[in-house]
Amino acid sequence: MSQLVLPLQLADHAVFASFYEQGNEALVATLSALAAQGEGHGCWLWGAASTGKTHLLQAVCESAGDRSAYVPLSMFADAGPGILDGLASRHLVCLDDIGLVAGDAAWETALFDLCNQVLDSGGQLVVSADTAPRESAIGLADLASRLALLPVFHVQALDDEQRVAALKLRARHRGLELPGETARYLLKRSRRDMASLYTLLDRLDREALRAQRRLTIPFVRDVLQS
Amino acid sequence: MSAESTLWNQCIRVLQVELPEQQFNTWIRPLQAVDDGSVLRLLAPNRFVVDWLQQHYLERILELVGDSAKGGTCAEVVVEVGSRQTEAPAAKPGRPQPVVIKKASVTPVASRLNPTFTFENFVEGKSNQLARAAASQVGENPGKSYNPLFIYGGVGLGKTHLMHAVGNAMLKDNPEARVSYVHSERFVGDMVKGLQHNKISEFKRSYRSLDALLIDDIQFFAGKERSQEEFFHTFNALLEGQRQIILTCDRYPKEVNGLEERLKSRFGWGLTVAIEPPELETSVAILMSKASLEGVELPEEVAFFIAKRIRSNVRELEGALRRVIANYRFTGRAINLDFAKEALRDLLALQDRLVSIENIQKTVAEYFKIRVGDLLSKKRSRSIARPRQFGMALAKELTNHSLPEIGDAFGGRDHTTVLHGCRRIESLREVDKRVDDDYLNLLRTLTG
Repeated sequence: MSQLVLPLQLADHAVFASFYEQGNEALVATLSALAAQGEGHGCWLWGAASTGKTHLLQAVCESAGDRSAYVPLSMFADAGPGILDGLASRHLVCLDDIGLVAGDAAWETALFDLCNQVLDSGGQLVVSADTAPRESAIGLADLASRLALLPVFHVQALDDEQRVAALKLRARHRGLELPGETARYLLKRSRRDMASLYTLLDRLDREALRAQRRLTIPFVRDVLQS
Repeated sequence: MSAESTLWNQCIRVLQVELPEQQFNTWIRPLQAVDDGSVLRLLAPNRFVVDWLQQHYLERILELVGDSAKGGTCAEVVVEVGSRQTEAPAAKPGRPQPVVIKKASVTPVASRLNPTFTFENFVEGKSNQLARAAASQVGENPGKSYNPLFIYGGVGLGKTHLMHAVGNAMLKDNPEARVSYVHSERFVGDMVKGLQHNKISEFKRSYRSLDALLIDDIQFFAGKERSQEEFFHTFNALLEGQRQIILTCDRYPKEVNGLEERLKSRFGWGLTVAIEPPELETSVAILMSKASLEGVELPEEVAFFIAKRIRSNVRELEGALRRVIANYRFTGRAINLDFAKEALRDLLALQDRLVSIENIQKTVAEYFKIRVGDLLSKKRSRSIARPRQFGMALAKELTNHSLPEIGDAFGGRDHTTVLHGCRRIESLREVDKRVDDDYLNLLRTLTG
């Protein structure tokens, strides 16, 4: 009979400390300063899927606390721009995946109003997208112009060795020891994007706890095959 | 966070563990707690968040507050729209400070002036000379020289800067002056709120009691008839009282579609001036000036490099400069041309293109003039096997798929076959220039 696992896990929140920053050091430093000291207008960060943009935006909010607001547009794109009302009362607003509402006139006008209020009152905007601002589909020139004020950072994707290091860091953050050879094994045997790898790590964490095993290659192989 | 929100801090620690991260950050994190001992007020940014909290999280919050407050006095939790004004961003030193107009009989209108926008730090060039001169005169003789002053031009060219500069000059001469900067979207928003809450008379009195009204981007009035009507009367009242009006727009007033003719006509009563995109030298001067304000020494050749790459928009120039400065502050290295090119690669680069295995197969097949079906077939002749190995190696390099997935996509092959194929291409590229050229050509085609 397998052991039941109590639903108690170490908190694995998106914080700067659990973000593997190699290749993105300047971005992480800028965001940390922005969240902690309120410096600058904010920034626009862009990159391919699964490069950690959402993690970084949430880490900014974690650091800034209740003077910040996190707006995942994947959640609200269909609901309409009403969610933006009053957000300017928060000093720092993070708009995750702005490309999802780019080209929608009602959203763009509401975002324009929000940008004006936030920037005019000395607040900060952190925007994530899958493209650089110049390639974004924002149609309202005034909005694109306001956002052009933000310094632009490309979130660099990780190579395989960096993925191994990132996985190990995340595991360590969760109180797990992930040997390098096991991490490399995971990379060869599963989807290699970081979101999938972190989801897999969650599963391995649970299974390791249940089976009272360490994350060895034989154990991981058994889990992947089950 | 204030000391009285200890109770809420205890609650959010539990909620942070219980809720998925995205939900926690979206709904719980932005709540600002005010606890007076008997009532815990949770202030949400808007009605949408309040409703969502009440439907999904309030019950759990009440449980947690009940648990945490055992022995304490807090008995009630209220969720409402609001924010803790004491922590308003404008309280930060060096940031724009909202100036509140003091007049007992009229609801104050926030000035919203940004004190960092002044004539002193407005960089003058041929493109904005006339507008600057006119604005400067208005700042010295508000309500008398040019009224209204209408500044038009493309986005990010300094219209808003000039407008604030006039307001700040007026306040410098007369600190009691009632000056208000408002974006036209906000004017409309304030008016709608006034109508909704039966406070339209108050709204009218507030705006009509100003010494100077600065309205940005009036093209956003287009099509909003009720707002235009209200603005028309405000405009007339202010002008009759010899109060200053400054307007900006992205085009010449007559060219704004959806704006009433009587408004267009009035906009032309004063002086209409254009701002053009800055010439290269002005852009360079702007960059040097902004870098100096940030305490950074920017070499002229770097300023020229940035200005040449970003020609049409001052805001984008400023964004680029901020990016260079961010890297400079992080690395501590001196700013030179290579440093700037590296820092701006992100801004100027094309978007990442995620390449699919199907796309790789199609591109490889076209390149070697074979069919995609051949790549997936059991054929092992060199004319087919080699392109297949190219495809596998490219899939390994350009996608997130694992070796077994790549093997599956290439006709159900084993991952060791994929590994062999990747290694084969790698070793061939080192000894055979044609193979290397083919590989690089394919790589460029797929990522270009």
